[in-house]
Amino acid sequence: MSMLAKQQQAMLAVLFDWPSHSAIKKIANYTVNTGSRGLKIYQSNGHVLAQRALQAAYPVLAQLLGAESFDALARAHWHTEPPTCGDVAEWGVGLPAFVRGSAQLQDEPYLGDLAALEWALHCASIAADAEVDAASFALLAAHDPAELHVQLAPGCAVVASVWPVASLWAAHADQSVPFDALRQRFQAQSAEVALVWRAGLRPQVRHLDPAEHALLTALLANQTLGAALDAASHGAALATQWDTHSWLAQAVQSGLLLSVRA
Amino acid sequence: MPIAQCASRGGVGIGWRQPHYAELLVRQPELNFLEVHSENFFAHGGAALAVLERGRAAYDISLHGVGLSLGSAVGLDAWHLDQLARLVDRIDPLRVSDHASFARGQWLGASGSRTIHAADLLPIPFSAEALDVLCANVQRVQERLQRRFMVENLSAYVQWRPQTDEPQHSENEFLSSLAKRTGCALLVDVNNLYVNARNAQIRGELTDPVAHCLIWLDGITPTDVGEIHLAGHCHMRPTDGENPQDDIVIDDHGSRVCAEVWQIYKHAMQRFGTVPTLIEWDTDIPALDVLLDEARHARLVQGANA
Repeated sequence: MSMLAKQQQAMLAVLFDWPSHSAIKKIANYTVNTGSRGLKIYQSNGHVLAQRALQAAYPVLAQLLGAESFDALARAHWHTEPPTCGDVAEWGVGLPAFVRGSAQLQDEPYLGDLAALEWALHCASIAADAEVDAASFALLAAHDPAELHVQLAPGCAVVASVWPVASLWAAHADQSVPFDALRQRFQAQSAEVALVWRAGLRPQVRHLDPAEHALLTALLANQTLGAALDAASHGAALATQWDTHSWLAQAVQSGLLLSVRA
Repeated sequence: MPIAQCASRGGVGIGWRQPHYAELLVRQPELNFLEVHSENFFAHGGAALAVLERGRAAYDISLHGVGLSLGSAVGLDAWHLDQLARLVDRIDPLRVSDHASFARGQWLGASGSRTIHAADLLPIPFSAEALDVLCANVQRVQERLQRRFMVENLSAYVQWRPQTDEPQHSENEFLSSLAKRTGCALLVDVNNLYVNARNAQIRGELTDPVAHCLIWLDGITPTDVGEIHLAGHCHMRPTDGENPQDDIVIDDHGSRVCAEVWQIYKHAMQRFGTVPTLIEWDTDIPALDVLLDEARHARLVQGANA
């Protein structure tokens, strides 16, 4: 290993090994003034950045945990799974699994799914732009759905949970679900499936019923519209009536459905 | 290799950060350029990129990176360079820059050795080996972007110990060699110079930080300089019970440019001519008018030198 590589490896060990006492002793071979505040500045920079980056991607998780616990979580994640690229917005993909595996958070088992929902929202916020092709909707009248594929909105994703995760997010993010209702859904152990997509520049979340869950899962798997509608009809049999025309109208209006191709 | 030259000389810009996105687009104050951090716009779509494209329609843009890790012994991240190249194609910036620093390297974690990125501007030694690495990486960036790149001097809170008997470069010799070997431009951050000099003063290595900075600038060839950065810093003094060594000046970009840095900037303008100058402010970002007032001050210094 080159001298430069050794120096840089020693510095990264100071920043990411935790505790860092051994790494600080080791870097003394390569630096002067090791006892000074300089190394602590770099360590502190990392912890501040970790907190800010994860707070930006996981605002509701941060709200639920409180500042002190969230800082501790961010710091632990920083030292366990450091960033691997220079765009800090890409860091944090592993947090849902990290939360699920955290011994300290075992009493709040729904937090992992909430984190997964927030990461999906974060991804939607930075997903590649896509245009609506309104003219293509005419294909819906001219073709059998089995011959059609659709393009969904940027960042479209489905997050399924055994907890009322969409309600949990909505109650804290925009207060669109009252806390009384949220409490009842937790008491009833209501499983929820959340749909995430970006309408224009605005990421969105809503709860999916079983029919829509089946439909969106099929569409996200690149199945034809016909196959997805069949899946939805099957899903609807488990719950409410299914109305294809109403769903298509709402999907176009909400920016979820961008175009159709034969 | 055909490399486009840096843009015309002179002019003042500000760092355009999220709290001022909307206000600046509405007011469109008189500025020669806006500076943004490249990595904040690596996304392939979404609101931030849409804002930048609106800003680009009204202003020239200087893309300033913080994550290329030009001094890394493990080399550049091809993904990062791809993102930067795509952004350059999309925005057609006036200038593109990053730092003489490293962030990528090997780390031995619980699951074995892997390449990580520290997401910080970590100092590199001014050794012959580091210069070779930096030159190779800068050359690769210039070949990919097909333009003259700019490399900024760092504020460093750790000093590397010379590891061989070979003479070490001073920082300005190191950067001048980089410019000579690669044809890149230098982005001279005057505040970083002063922060390093103040910390050297605290360590007892020099007595007059301003004089040290002026000598530093005199060692740089004027035609190598493509842009100048100005910012504020803070002095963190040890509190009762802390080690007296815990006295340090931090380049936090969180206050107005101090009188000493304006003095050094004036010298820079006299030596380099009216180089494009940026007002940076990244911590506790104040009202837009405060940044515009700092920009007006820089313009006055440039005007006095014109």
